[in-house]
Amino acid sequence: MSKFRQLSLLALAPLSALVFMPPLHAATAPMPPPFEGVYQPQGVDEIGWWREDDEDERALLNSPVLIHDEKLNNYVTDVLCRTVGYDRCSATRVYIIREPVFNASMTMNGTMRVFSGLLLRTRNEAELASVLAHEFGHFERRHGLQRFKGLRSGSDVAAWASVLAGVSMNYGAHRSMHGLNYQIYGSYFRFSRDDEREADLLGLGYLNSSDLRPHAAAEVWENLMGEATASASIKGLKKPNFGRVAFFASHPGNQERANYLSALALPDGAGRDDGADRYREALADWMPIFLDDQVKLNDFGASEYIIESLAQNGWTAELWFARGELYRNRGHPRDLVNAAEFYREAAFADPDLADAYRGLGLSLMKAGKRSEGQGALRRYLELNPDASDAKMIRMMAPELEVSE
Amino acid sequence: MMRFFVLIFAVIGLIGAGPQSASAQEKTAVQKGFELAPNSGKRILVFRPAIRVGAQSTAGLFEPNADWTEEATKNIQASLAEFQERIGNEVINAPEAYGAEAQNLQEHMDLFAAVSRSAIKYQFFAGQRLPTKKKDNREDIFDWSLGSGVSSLPGADGADYGLFIFNKDAYGSTGRKLLQGLAFLARVPVKSGEHQGFAGLVDLRSGDLLWLNADFAMGGDVRKPEGAQKRVGQLLEEFPGSDLPDGRGE
Repeated sequence: MSKFRQLSLLALAPLSALVFMPPLHAATAPMPPPFEGVYQPQGVDEIGWWREDDEDERALLNSPVLIHDEKLNNYVTDVLCRTVGYDRCSATRVYIIREPVFNASMTMNGTMRVFSGLLLRTRNEAELASVLAHEFGHFERRHGLQRFKGLRSGSDVAAWASVLAGVSMNYGAHRSMHGLNYQIYGSYFRFSRDDEREADLLGLGYLNSSDLRPHAAAEVWENLMGEATASASIKGLKKPNFGRVAFFASHPGNQERANYLSALALPDGAGRDDGADRYREALADWMPIFLDDQVKLNDFGASEYIIESLAQNGWTAELWFARGELYRNRGHPRDLVNAAEFYREAAFADPDLADAYRGLGLSLMKAGKRSEGQGALRRYLELNPDASDAKMIRMMAPELEVSE
Repeated sequence: MMRFFVLIFAVIGLIGAGPQSASAQEKTAVQKGFELAPNSGKRILVFRPAIRVGAQSTAGLFEPNADWTEEATKNIQASLAEFQERIGNEVINAPEAYGAEAQNLQEHMDLFAAVSRSAIKYQFFAGQRLPTKKKDNREDIFDWSLGSGVSSLPGADGADYGLFIFNKDAYGSTGRKLLQGLAFLARVPVKSGEHQGFAGLVDLRSGDLLWLNADFAMGGDVRKPEGAQKRVGQLLEEFPGSDLPDGRGE
């Protein structure tokens, strides 16, 4: 049995040697390294995975979840290119996916997926740039390949250990095997978190050397923690612990990320523009759609947080409308009162916003205010006579001559 | 990154539950009443085959190999044309599609994968077979369709049937084979290598799935032309109208 223990320790030695990364003690995130030219995959593993990614990308290109709007795509790509440099970014392709989650990902071959939920949550160009530059950092450092190789060597050791434990058929060997497995999985996720920190650092380095405000990187995470807290509080759950790192966590805690990103941001950059106006303008057409997707997630606390956070720059008809939808969808009698008020604000801000009258009418009808509600619904049909639900709405609010 | 989560949980599953037992599974079905006489001269539109070839690490992870995949794709496509020519059909490779057509094609590729995987899972093999499909099996009913939308696919107007092919090979690495050897001594079943695929024939007018063959333990080294020939023979086993003496005696 002791022989087996020795063997397991021996097998772990190369793993544990790599586990510890140097602590983050630089005053600011380092400047990005000089551009070394377009990278091509090397070796069987990397060439193989790039080919897999190429196939996935081929399918993604024709996927219905993709947002094809050229204006939006050009804008997001341009934010990435201006942050990491046009020479570097030419190795990547940005795809915007309509899915209301906060996420972005990067594959080994340079396919960057940006989810619409991210675009809804970042409030300016600098925040978006920080996430894009982080993902680009994964590509630049080729983390995907390292993760695969790490997983393969770790799982190889685990497979040998399980078979060896099977051969020896004794309790101690089995116990050692299970201990070893935990160490292997633990180190896999620890490596993953270290990769994320490295990508954060690299991304911040790009932001420091760009013309955008680097402090926005930390604000992304602060904002996200605010949202998670709001979401939990409405559900009556405990405030999430953002400092805790779970065994299977692939990313460092949000609090830790916010702390080091804020500490390592270039202090001189604090006065820089964060491009909030450009960002709002570029996303203007899509904001109502992204908001609608978010409202339909049925996460009241989070949606309310996002709407209020967007409203810090002033309430617009679209924000009032989204808030009305959020309250009407939850639909308690007390919510209907609020919803009606929000729809009225939306209609006040934009008297031609047909859907605001629809929401107002339906809220009022449901709250028992029939004639008032019918009035709003008639206004909706006036503004949008060809609406897909026109027939149904007409049944609820018949023409005045008919009803009399 | 998602892929690595899938991988790691696959590995956890492997270690936790012990290596999976090797179960050779293959089955073919033909839509009731569908017949294709040999030498009927039908035109078959072959959609871009999904072929992945790689190695299997010691613990069973898939290690993609671009070179092998390229060779296999070339070999399988050549053998496929030869096979269809032998039974008297004409093979047409689907034309390159652009824009809305490409989106439509991708949707249908995914739809075929979803429908055929459902047929395989819920009708073909014991395990998650649905009671209604068990009844269908007894009555020799095979009733699946992609819908008449297939007639709008690029190249569909010049062909009678569409052929979809999925193939995945993972050749056991040296480490995997050694592990298999030792595991054998420990009486733990460890399978080295994975060779599975399925192929389906679709009516390009109605969208009905006319024939489907799934085989999760195939032979033939697709990296070599003669191996690919054997593989295509197994992928297209009991292909309608292929009752020619082809040496396999099925």
